Amino acid sequence: MYTLLIDDDPITIFLTERLLKHEGLSDTAASFQDATEALHFLLKQITVGLVPQVVLLDLNMPLVSGWDFLDLLKRHEIQLQGHCLVYLLTSSVAPSDKARAETYPLVAGLLHKPLNKQKIQQIRDHVLPAATAADA
Amino acid sequence: MKTAAPVAATEIRFRSLFENTPELILYQNENSTILDANPAFLKLVEKPKDQVLNHQYDEFLPPEVRPLFKEKLAEAFTGRIVRFEMYASQGGSAPRHWDVVKVPLMEHGKVVGVHMVARDITEKTQSQDQILAQNKDLQQFTYIVSHNLRAPLANALGLVGLLGVEEADSPEFEHARTHLQVSLEQLDKVLQDMNTILAIRDKQGLAEPEDVPLAEIVLQVLQNLQDVVHECGGTVRVTIPDHFQVRGNRAYLYSSLFNLLSNSIKYRDAQRPLLVELTATGEEGQEKVITFADNGLGIDLAQAGADVFQLYKRFHPTHPGRGVGLYLVKTHVESMGGRIEVSSQVGEGTQFTITLP
Repeated sequence: MYTLLIDDDPITIFLTERLLKHEGLSDTAASFQDATEALHFLLKQITVGLVPQVVLLDLNMPLVSGWDFLDLLKRHEIQLQGHCLVYLLTSSVAPSDKARAETYPLVAGLLHKPLNKQKIQQIRDHVLPAATAADA
Repeated sequence: MKTAAPVAATEIRFRSLFENTPELILYQNENSTILDANPAFLKLVEKPKDQVLNHQYDEFLPPEVRPLFKEKLAEAFTGRIVRFEMYASQGGSAPRHWDVVKVPLMEHGKVVGVHMVARDITEKTQSQDQILAQNKDLQQFTYIVSHNLRAPLANALGLVGLLGVEEADSPEFEHARTHLQVSLEQLDKVLQDMNTILAIRDKQGLAEPEDVPLAEIVLQVLQNLQDVVHECGGTVRVTIPDHFQVRGNRAYLYSSLFNLLSNSIKYRDAQRPLLVELTATGEEGQEKVITFADNGLGIDLAQAGADVFQLYKRFHPTHPGRGVGLYLVKTHVESMGGRIEVSSQVGEGTQFTITLP
Protein backbone atom coordinates (compact mmCIF):
# COMPACT_ATOMS: atom_id res chain seq x y z
CA MET A 1 0.00 0.00 0.00
CA TYR A 2 1.82 3.08 -1.28
CA THR A 3 1.34 5.60 1.51
CA LEU A 4 2.17 9.27 1.99
CA LEU A 5 2.39 10.51 5.58
CA ILE A 6 2.05 14.20 6.41
CA ASP A 7 2.42 15.20 10.04
CA ASP A 8 4.49 17.95 11.66
CA ASP A 9 5.12 15.72 14.66
CA PRO A 10 8.11 13.36 14.20
CA ILE A 11 6.84 11.02 16.92
CA THR A 12 3.56 10.47 15.09
CA ILE A 13 5.49 9.78 11.89
CA PHE A 14 7.67 7.22 13.67
CA LEU A 15 4.62 5.58 15.21
CA THR A 16 2.71 5.43 11.93
CA GLU A 17 5.68 4.07 9.98
CA ARG A 18 6.24 1.34 12.55
CA LEU A 19 2.58 0.36 12.68
CA LEU A 20 2.41 0.15 8.88
CA LYS A 21 5.52 -2.03 8.90
CA HIS A 22 4.02 -4.39 11.48
CA GLU A 23 0.95 -4.71 9.27
CA GLY A 24 3.19 -5.54 6.34
CA LEU A 25 2.21 -2.37 4.50
CA SER A 26 5.43 -0.44 4.41
CA ASP A 27 6.43 -1.43 0.87
CA THR A 28 6.47 2.19 -0.21
CA ALA A 29 5.97 5.09 2.10
CA ALA A 30 7.09 8.70 2.04
CA SER A 31 6.85 10.94 5.10
CA PHE A 32 6.86 14.71 5.38
CA GLN A 33 6.77 17.04 8.36
CA ASP A 34 6.09 20.00 6.11
CA ALA A 35 2.84 20.07 4.13
CA THR A 36 4.31 22.29 1.41
CA GLU A 37 7.09 19.80 0.71
CA ALA A 38 4.54 16.99 0.70
CA LEU A 39 2.46 18.89 -1.84
CA HIS A 40 5.44 19.33 -4.16
CA PHE A 41 6.19 15.64 -3.85
CA LEU A 42 2.59 14.66 -4.58
CA LEU A 43 2.37 16.93 -7.63
CA LYS A 44 5.60 15.42 -8.95
CA GLN A 45 4.17 11.93 -8.41
CA ILE A 46 1.09 12.93 -10.44
CA THR A 47 3.27 13.95 -13.39
CA VAL A 48 5.23 10.67 -13.32
CA GLY A 49 2.05 8.64 -12.78
CA LEU A 50 3.05 7.22 -9.37
CA VAL A 51 0.29 8.50 -7.14
CA PRO A 52 0.19 7.20 -3.55
CA GLN A 53 -2.84 5.04 -2.83
CA VAL A 54 -3.28 6.55 0.62
CA VAL A 55 -2.47 9.90 2.14
CA LEU A 56 -2.53 10.09 5.94
CA LEU A 57 -2.92 13.78 6.67
CA ASP A 58 -2.62 15.56 10.02
CA LEU A 59 -4.94 18.56 10.38
CA ASN A 60 -3.26 20.74 12.96
CA MET A 61 0.07 21.85 11.50
CA PRO A 62 1.78 25.25 11.60
CA LEU A 63 1.74 27.49 8.50
CA VAL A 64 0.10 25.06 6.08
CA SER A 65 -2.55 23.05 7.93
CA GLY A 66 -4.18 19.86 6.71
CA TRP A 67 -7.17 21.91 5.54
CA ASP A 68 -4.87 24.26 3.63
CA PHE A 69 -3.24 21.23 2.03
CA LEU A 70 -6.64 19.95 0.86
CA ASP A 71 -7.53 23.38 -0.50
CA LEU A 72 -4.24 23.55 -2.41
CA LEU A 73 -4.93 20.10 -3.79
CA LYS A 74 -8.37 21.06 -5.12
CA ARG A 75 -7.02 21.94 -8.56
CA HIS A 76 -5.61 18.43 -8.94
CA GLU A 77 -8.61 16.56 -7.57
CA ILE A 78 -9.57 15.12 -10.96
CA GLN A 79 -6.13 13.54 -11.45
CA LEU A 80 -6.31 11.96 -7.99
CA GLN A 81 -9.94 10.91 -7.81
CA GLY A 82 -10.25 7.12 -7.78
CA HIS A 83 -6.49 6.60 -7.38
CA CYS A 84 -5.75 8.23 -4.07
CA LEU A 85 -7.68 8.21 -0.79
CA VAL A 86 -6.99 10.83 1.84
CA TYR A 87 -7.49 9.93 5.51
CA LEU A 88 -7.40 12.73 8.03
CA LEU A 89 -5.49 11.62 11.09
CA THR A 90 -6.13 14.02 13.92
CA SER A 91 -5.98 14.33 17.67
CA SER A 92 -8.81 16.84 17.58
CA VAL A 93 -12.21 15.74 18.79
CA ALA A 94 -14.08 18.75 17.39
CA PRO A 95 -17.34 17.60 15.79
CA SER A 96 -17.09 20.40 13.22
CA ASP A 97 -14.06 18.63 11.65
CA LYS A 98 -16.19 15.72 10.48
CA ALA A 99 -18.68 17.96 8.70
CA ARG A 100 -15.87 19.91 7.09
CA ALA A 101 -14.09 16.73 6.01
CA GLU A 102 -17.20 15.65 4.10
CA THR A 103 -16.93 18.68 1.84
CA TYR A 104 -13.71 17.31 0.29
CA PRO A 105 -14.36 14.54 -2.24
CA LEU A 106 -10.84 13.14 -1.85
CA VAL A 107 -11.26 12.55 1.88
CA ALA A 108 -12.24 8.96 2.57
CA GLY A 109 -12.42 9.25 6.33
CA LEU A 110 -11.42 10.95 9.55
CA LEU A 111 -9.45 8.90 12.04
CA HIS A 112 -8.63 9.88 15.60
CA LYS A 113 -5.08 9.42 16.79
CA PRO A 114 -3.50 7.13 17.74
CA LEU A 115 -3.46 4.99 14.65
CA ASN A 116 -3.73 1.28 15.50
CA LYS A 117 -4.09 -2.14 13.91
CA GLN A 118 -7.89 -1.85 13.55
CA LYS A 119 -7.73 1.53 11.87
CA ILE A 120 -5.05 0.37 9.45
CA GLN A 121 -7.18 -2.68 8.65
CA GLN A 122 -10.09 -0.37 7.94
CA ILE A 123 -7.97 1.64 5.51
CA ARG A 124 -6.61 -1.48 3.83
CA ASP A 125 -10.10 -2.95 3.36
CA HIS A 126 -11.10 0.27 1.70
CA VAL A 127 -8.02 0.83 -0.46
CA LEU A 128 -7.02 -2.61 -1.67
CA PRO A 129 -10.35 -3.60 -3.34
CA ALA A 130 -10.48 -0.14 -4.86
CA ALA A 131 -6.94 -0.55 -6.18
CA THR A 132 -7.79 -3.96 -7.61
CA ALA A 133 -10.85 -2.51 -9.31
CA ALA A 134 -8.82 0.36 -10.74
CA ASP A 135 -6.17 -2.04 -12.06
CA ALA A 136 -8.82 -4.24 -13.69
CA MET B 1 -61.98 66.76 54.31
CA LYS B 2 -60.54 63.81 56.15
CA THR B 3 -59.28 62.20 52.95
CA ALA B 4 -57.65 65.37 51.58
CA ALA B 5 -54.42 65.06 53.57
CA PRO B 6 -53.52 61.51 52.35
CA VAL B 7 -54.13 62.52 48.70
CA ALA B 8 -51.80 65.50 49.07
CA ALA B 9 -49.20 63.27 50.71
CA THR B 10 -49.41 60.80 47.81
CA GLU B 11 -49.06 63.66 45.36
CA ILE B 12 -45.90 64.84 47.13
CA ARG B 13 -44.48 61.32 47.08
CA PHE B 14 -45.08 60.82 43.38
CA ARG B 15 -43.90 64.32 42.49
CA SER B 16 -40.66 63.66 44.38
CA LEU B 17 -40.15 60.42 42.49
CA PHE B 18 -40.83 62.17 39.15
CA GLU B 19 -38.47 65.04 39.96
CA ASN B 20 -35.58 63.08 41.43
CA THR B 21 -35.34 59.69 39.74
CA PRO B 22 -32.40 59.19 37.35
CA GLU B 23 -34.81 57.41 34.98
CA LEU B 24 -36.35 59.36 32.11
CA ILE B 25 -40.11 59.89 32.50
CA LEU B 26 -42.34 61.30 29.76
CA TYR B 27 -46.08 61.60 29.50
CA GLN B 28 -47.39 61.50 25.94
CA ASN B 29 -50.70 61.66 24.12
CA GLU B 30 -51.74 59.45 21.23
CA ASN B 31 -50.01 61.71 18.67
CA SER B 32 -46.70 61.24 20.48
CA THR B 33 -46.73 64.84 21.72
CA ILE B 34 -44.81 65.24 25.00
CA LEU B 35 -47.18 66.60 27.66
CA ASP B 36 -44.78 66.27 30.58
CA ALA B 37 -41.09 65.48 31.00
CA ASN B 38 -39.07 65.00 34.17
CA PRO B 39 -35.77 66.77 34.99
CA ALA B 40 -33.74 63.64 34.11
CA PHE B 41 -35.05 63.83 30.54
CA LEU B 42 -34.50 67.61 30.29
CA LYS B 43 -30.96 67.17 31.55
CA LEU B 44 -30.20 64.40 29.04
CA VAL B 45 -31.47 66.34 26.01
CA GLU B 46 -30.08 69.63 27.40
CA LYS B 47 -33.26 71.61 26.71
CA PRO B 48 -35.46 73.80 28.94
CA LYS B 49 -38.93 72.47 29.67
CA ASP B 50 -40.67 74.92 27.28
CA GLN B 51 -38.65 73.52 24.35
CA VAL B 52 -39.75 69.99 25.18
CA LEU B 53 -43.41 70.23 26.19
CA ASN B 54 -45.85 70.14 23.26
CA HIS B 55 -43.07 68.92 20.99
CA GLN B 56 -43.07 65.56 19.22
CA TYR B 57 -40.90 62.92 20.91
CA ASP B 58 -39.61 62.12 17.38
CA GLU B 59 -37.69 65.40 17.43
CA PHE B 60 -35.44 63.91 20.12
CA LEU B 61 -34.99 60.50 18.50
CA PRO B 62 -32.76 59.44 15.59
CA PRO B 63 -34.82 58.53 12.48
CA GLU B 64 -34.02 54.81 12.67
CA VAL B 65 -35.85 54.24 15.98
CA ARG B 66 -38.88 56.47 15.28
CA PRO B 67 -41.01 53.71 13.67
CA LEU B 68 -40.30 51.45 16.67
CA PHE B 69 -41.47 54.13 19.12
CA LYS B 70 -44.57 54.82 17.05
CA GLU B 71 -45.47 51.16 17.04
CA LYS B 72 -44.84 50.71 20.78
CA LEU B 73 -46.83 53.84 21.67
CA ALA B 74 -49.79 52.63 19.60
CA GLU B 75 -49.55 49.29 21.39
CA ALA B 76 -49.61 51.01 24.79
CA PHE B 77 -52.69 52.96 23.68
CA THR B 78 -54.53 49.66 23.32
CA GLY B 79 -54.24 49.43 27.13
CA ARG B 80 -51.22 47.17 27.40
CA ILE B 81 -47.97 47.76 29.29
CA VAL B 82 -45.17 47.60 26.73
CA ARG B 83 -41.53 46.94 27.47
CA PHE B 84 -38.58 46.94 25.04
CA GLU B 85 -34.88 47.70 24.73
CA MET B 86 -33.21 50.02 22.28
CA TYR B 87 -29.87 51.60 21.54
CA ALA B 88 -30.14 55.25 20.51
CA SER B 89 -29.16 58.80 21.25
CA GLN B 90 -31.79 61.20 22.58
CA GLY B 91 -31.55 64.88 21.74
CA GLY B 92 -27.84 65.62 21.51
CA SER B 93 -26.80 62.84 23.90
CA ALA B 94 -24.39 60.04 23.10
CA PRO B 95 -26.09 56.77 22.11
CA ARG B 96 -26.99 54.62 25.10
CA HIS B 97 -28.79 51.35 25.74
CA TRP B 98 -32.26 51.93 27.17
CA ASP B 99 -34.77 49.68 28.88
CA VAL B 100 -38.09 51.34 28.02
CA VAL B 101 -41.48 50.76 29.66
CA LYS B 102 -44.67 52.41 28.39
CA VAL B 103 -47.54 52.40 30.87
CA PRO B 104 -51.04 53.47 29.75
CA LEU B 105 -53.09 55.81 31.98
CA MET B 106 -56.72 54.72 32.06
CA GLU B 107 -59.69 56.96 32.76
CA HIS B 108 -63.20 55.50 32.68
CA GLY B 109 -61.92 52.44 30.81
CA LYS B 110 -60.22 54.48 28.15
CA VAL B 111 -56.50 55.20 27.62
CA VAL B 112 -55.98 58.96 27.90
CA GLY B 113 -52.19 59.04 27.79
CA VAL B 114 -49.04 56.95 28.17
CA HIS B 115 -46.19 57.30 30.64
CA MET B 116 -42.78 56.26 29.42
CA VAL B 117 -40.03 55.29 31.87
CA ALA B 118 -36.59 54.71 30.32
CA ARG B 119 -33.70 53.28 32.33
CA ASP B 120 -30.12 53.58 31.14
CA ILE B 121 -28.73 50.02 30.95
CA THR B 122 -25.59 50.82 28.98
CA GLU B 123 -23.10 49.57 31.61
CA LYS B 124 -25.09 46.39 32.16
CA THR B 125 -25.34 45.72 28.43
CA GLN B 126 -21.63 46.36 27.93
CA SER B 127 -20.60 44.05 30.74
CA GLN B 128 -22.94 41.42 29.33
CA ASP B 129 -21.27 41.73 25.92
CA GLN B 130 -17.89 41.52 27.63
CA ILE B 131 -18.91 38.33 29.42
CA LEU B 132 -20.12 36.84 26.14
CA ALA B 133 -16.81 37.69 24.48
CA GLN B 134 -14.87 36.19 27.41
CA ASN B 135 -17.03 33.10 27.23
CA LYS B 136 -16.20 32.69 23.57
CA ASP B 137 -12.52 33.16 24.42
CA LEU B 138 -12.71 30.47 27.09
CA GLN B 139 -14.44 28.09 24.72
CA GLN B 140 -11.68 28.62 22.20
CA PHE B 141 -9.11 28.17 24.98
CA THR B 142 -10.70 24.88 26.07
CA TYR B 143 -10.66 23.63 22.51
CA ILE B 144 -7.00 24.48 22.08
CA VAL B 145 -6.05 22.94 25.40
CA SER B 146 -7.96 19.74 24.77
CA HIS B 147 -6.28 19.40 21.41
CA ASN B 148 -2.84 19.99 22.86
CA LEU B 149 -3.41 17.56 25.70
CA ARG B 150 -4.81 15.00 23.32
CA ALA B 151 -1.90 15.13 20.84
CA PRO B 152 0.89 13.86 23.17
CA LEU B 153 -1.57 11.58 24.95
CA ALA B 154 -2.57 9.91 21.66
CA ASN B 155 1.11 9.42 20.84
CA ALA B 156 1.75 7.90 24.26
CA LEU B 157 -1.16 5.50 23.82
CA GLY B 158 0.06 4.51 20.37
CA LEU B 159 3.64 4.03 21.58
CA VAL B 160 2.58 1.85 24.51
CA GLY B 161 0.78 -0.36 21.98
CA LEU B 162 3.87 -0.40 19.78
CA LEU B 163 6.14 -1.41 22.69
CA GLY B 164 4.04 -4.57 22.92
CA VAL B 165 4.90 -5.64 19.38
CA GLU B 166 8.44 -4.37 18.88
CA GLU B 167 11.16 -6.87 19.68
CA ALA B 168 12.65 -6.11 23.08
CA ASP B 169 16.18 -4.60 22.94
CA SER B 170 15.80 -3.77 19.22
CA PRO B 171 16.68 -0.19 18.19
CA GLU B 172 12.98 0.40 17.34
CA PHE B 173 11.98 -0.67 20.85
CA GLU B 174 14.45 1.84 22.29
CA HIS B 175 13.14 4.56 19.94
CA ALA B 176 9.58 3.85 20.95
CA ARG B 177 10.54 4.03 24.62
CA THR B 178 12.37 7.35 24.18
CA HIS B 179 9.45 8.78 22.21
CA LEU B 180 7.09 7.66 24.97
CA GLN B 181 9.19 9.53 27.49
CA VAL B 182 9.15 12.66 25.29
CA SER B 183 5.38 12.43 24.76
CA LEU B 184 4.75 12.24 28.50
CA GLU B 185 7.06 15.20 29.07
CA GLN B 186 5.10 17.16 26.43
CA LEU B 187 1.89 16.29 28.22
CA ASP B 188 3.34 17.52 31.48
CA LYS B 189 4.51 20.73 29.77
CA VAL B 190 0.98 21.49 28.53
CA LEU B 191 -0.34 21.07 32.06
CA GLN B 192 2.38 23.39 33.36
CA ASP B 193 1.35 25.95 30.71
CA MET B 194 -2.22 25.71 31.99
CA ASN B 195 -1.01 26.45 35.51
CA THR B 196 0.93 29.49 34.32
CA ILE B 197 -1.98 30.84 32.29
CA LEU B 198 -4.60 30.19 34.95
CA ALA B 199 -2.39 31.87 37.55
CA ILE B 200 -2.28 35.06 35.44
CA ARG B 201 -6.03 34.96 34.82
CA ASP B 202 -6.68 34.43 38.52
CA LYS B 203 -4.75 37.52 39.45
CA GLN B 204 -6.38 39.60 36.73
CA GLY B 205 -8.02 42.60 38.35
CA LEU B 206 -6.69 41.62 41.77
CA ALA B 207 -3.08 42.72 41.51
CA GLU B 208 -2.85 46.43 42.32
CA PRO B 209 -1.10 48.23 39.46
CA GLU B 210 1.95 50.20 40.48
CA ASP B 211 4.17 52.79 38.80
CA VAL B 212 7.05 50.85 37.33
CA PRO B 213 10.21 52.53 36.04
CA LEU B 214 10.48 50.92 32.61
CA ALA B 215 14.24 51.47 32.21
CA GLU B 216 14.87 49.33 35.29
CA ILE B 217 12.87 46.41 33.88
CA VAL B 218 14.55 46.68 30.48
CA LEU B 219 17.94 46.64 32.20
CA GLN B 220 17.05 43.42 34.04
CA VAL B 221 15.93 41.78 30.80
CA LEU B 222 19.11 42.88 29.01
CA GLN B 223 21.30 41.60 31.84
CA ASN B 224 19.66 38.22 31.73
CA LEU B 225 19.91 37.89 27.97
CA GLN B 226 23.18 39.78 27.38
CA ASP B 227 25.24 36.62 26.84
CA VAL B 228 22.92 35.32 24.13
CA VAL B 229 22.64 38.74 22.48
CA HIS B 230 26.43 39.05 22.56
CA GLU B 231 26.96 35.53 21.19
CA CYS B 232 24.84 36.18 18.11
CA GLY B 233 26.49 39.55 17.53
CA GLY B 234 23.28 41.44 18.19
CA THR B 235 22.62 45.00 19.32
CA VAL B 236 19.76 46.30 21.43
CA ARG B 237 19.07 50.06 21.26
CA VAL B 238 16.93 51.44 24.04
CA THR B 239 15.35 54.90 24.00
CA ILE B 240 13.41 55.60 27.17
CA PRO B 241 12.87 59.17 28.47
CA ASP B 242 14.25 59.95 31.95
CA HIS B 243 11.96 58.94 34.84
CA PHE B 244 9.63 57.19 32.40
CA GLN B 245 7.11 55.09 34.30
CA VAL B 246 4.28 52.83 33.24
CA ARG B 247 1.30 51.75 35.28
CA GLY B 248 1.31 47.97 35.58
CA ASN B 249 2.96 45.01 37.17
CA ARG B 250 6.72 44.48 37.35
CA ALA B 251 6.67 40.73 36.81
CA TYR B 252 4.35 41.00 33.80
CA LEU B 253 6.40 43.72 32.17
CA TYR B 254 9.57 41.76 32.73
CA SER B 255 8.06 38.57 31.33
CA SER B 256 6.59 40.38 28.30
CA LEU B 257 9.85 42.10 27.34
CA PHE B 258 11.86 38.96 28.08
CA ASN B 259 9.63 36.93 25.76
CA LEU B 260 9.80 39.53 22.98
CA LEU B 261 13.59 39.76 23.14
CA SER B 262 13.94 35.97 23.30
CA ASN B 263 11.82 35.74 20.17
CA SER B 264 13.94 38.35 18.40
CA ILE B 265 17.05 36.35 19.19
CA LYS B 266 15.48 33.03 18.26
CA TYR B 267 13.96 34.25 14.99
CA ARG B 268 16.80 36.52 13.88
CA ASP B 269 17.83 36.55 10.25
CA ALA B 270 21.17 34.85 9.64
CA GLN B 271 21.74 37.28 6.72
CA ARG B 272 22.37 40.29 9.01
CA PRO B 273 23.34 41.00 12.60
CA LEU B 274 20.37 41.30 14.95
CA LEU B 275 19.22 44.82 15.75
CA VAL B 276 16.46 45.44 18.28
CA GLU B 277 15.07 48.89 18.99
CA LEU B 278 12.99 49.51 22.05
CA THR B 279 11.36 52.92 22.34
CA ALA B 280 8.98 54.32 24.93
CA THR B 281 6.79 57.40 24.53
CA GLY B 282 3.88 59.03 26.33
CA GLU B 283 3.52 62.03 28.61
CA GLU B 284 2.67 61.73 32.27
CA GLY B 285 -1.05 61.03 32.70
CA GLN B 286 -1.42 59.82 29.11
CA GLU B 287 -1.32 56.40 27.50
CA LYS B 288 2.19 54.96 27.33
CA VAL B 289 3.42 53.36 24.13
CA ILE B 290 6.31 50.91 24.03
CA THR B 291 7.49 49.86 20.58
CA PHE B 292 9.70 46.84 20.19
CA ALA B 293 11.13 46.35 16.70
CA ASP B 294 13.63 43.84 15.32
CA ASN B 295 15.20 43.15 11.91
CA GLY B 296 14.58 39.41 12.08
CA LEU B 297 12.84 36.85 9.87
CA GLY B 298 9.43 38.49 10.21
CA ILE B 299 6.01 36.84 10.23
CA ASP B 300 3.78 36.48 7.17
CA LEU B 301 0.78 38.28 8.66
CA ALA B 302 -1.39 37.66 5.61
CA GLN B 303 -1.10 33.97 6.40
CA ALA B 304 -0.93 34.15 10.20
CA GLY B 305 -3.63 36.80 10.54
CA ALA B 306 -5.36 36.77 13.88
CA ASP B 307 -3.36 33.74 14.98
CA VAL B 308 -0.15 35.58 15.89
CA PHE B 309 -1.03 35.74 19.60
CA GLN B 310 -2.95 32.47 19.66
CA LEU B 311 -1.83 29.76 22.08
CA TYR B 312 0.26 26.97 20.49
CA LYS B 313 0.37 28.70 17.10
CA ARG B 314 3.79 28.69 15.45
CA PHE B 315 5.14 30.59 12.49
CA HIS B 316 8.68 29.30 12.16
CA PRO B 317 8.29 25.53 12.32
CA THR B 318 11.95 24.93 11.52
CA HIS B 319 12.97 26.67 14.77
CA PRO B 320 12.31 25.08 18.13
CA GLY B 321 9.45 26.67 20.02
CA ARG B 322 6.12 25.78 21.52
CA GLY B 323 3.81 28.64 20.56
CA VAL B 324 3.38 29.94 24.09
CA GLY B 325 5.52 33.11 24.27
CA LEU B 326 3.36 35.61 22.39
CA TYR B 327 0.20 34.24 23.97
CA LEU B 328 1.70 34.95 27.40
CA VAL B 329 2.82 38.43 26.31
CA LYS B 330 -0.71 39.25 25.20
CA THR B 331 -2.24 37.81 28.37
CA HIS B 332 0.16 39.82 30.52
CA VAL B 333 -0.41 43.06 28.63
CA GLU B 334 -4.17 42.66 28.72
CA SER B 335 -4.20 41.86 32.41
CA MET B 336 -2.53 45.26 32.94
CA GLY B 337 -5.39 46.86 30.99
CA GLY B 338 -3.26 47.38 27.88
CA ARG B 339 -3.24 46.12 24.34
CA ILE B 340 -0.63 44.83 21.90
CA GLU B 341 -0.42 45.07 18.12
CA VAL B 342 1.98 43.61 15.62
CA SER B 343 3.22 44.60 12.19
CA SER B 344 5.74 42.62 10.21
CA GLN B 345 7.42 42.16 6.84
CA VAL B 346 8.93 38.81 5.96
CA GLY B 347 12.67 39.25 5.53
CA GLU B 348 12.65 42.70 7.15
CA GLY B 349 11.52 42.32 10.73
CA THR B 350 8.73 42.52 13.24
CA GLN B 351 7.41 45.39 15.33
CA PHE B 352 5.25 45.08 18.43
CA THR B 353 3.43 48.06 19.88
CA ILE B 354 2.31 47.81 23.49
CA THR B 355 -0.07 50.48 24.76
CA LEU B 356 -0.59 50.76 28.51
CA PRO B 357 -3.07 53.00 30.35
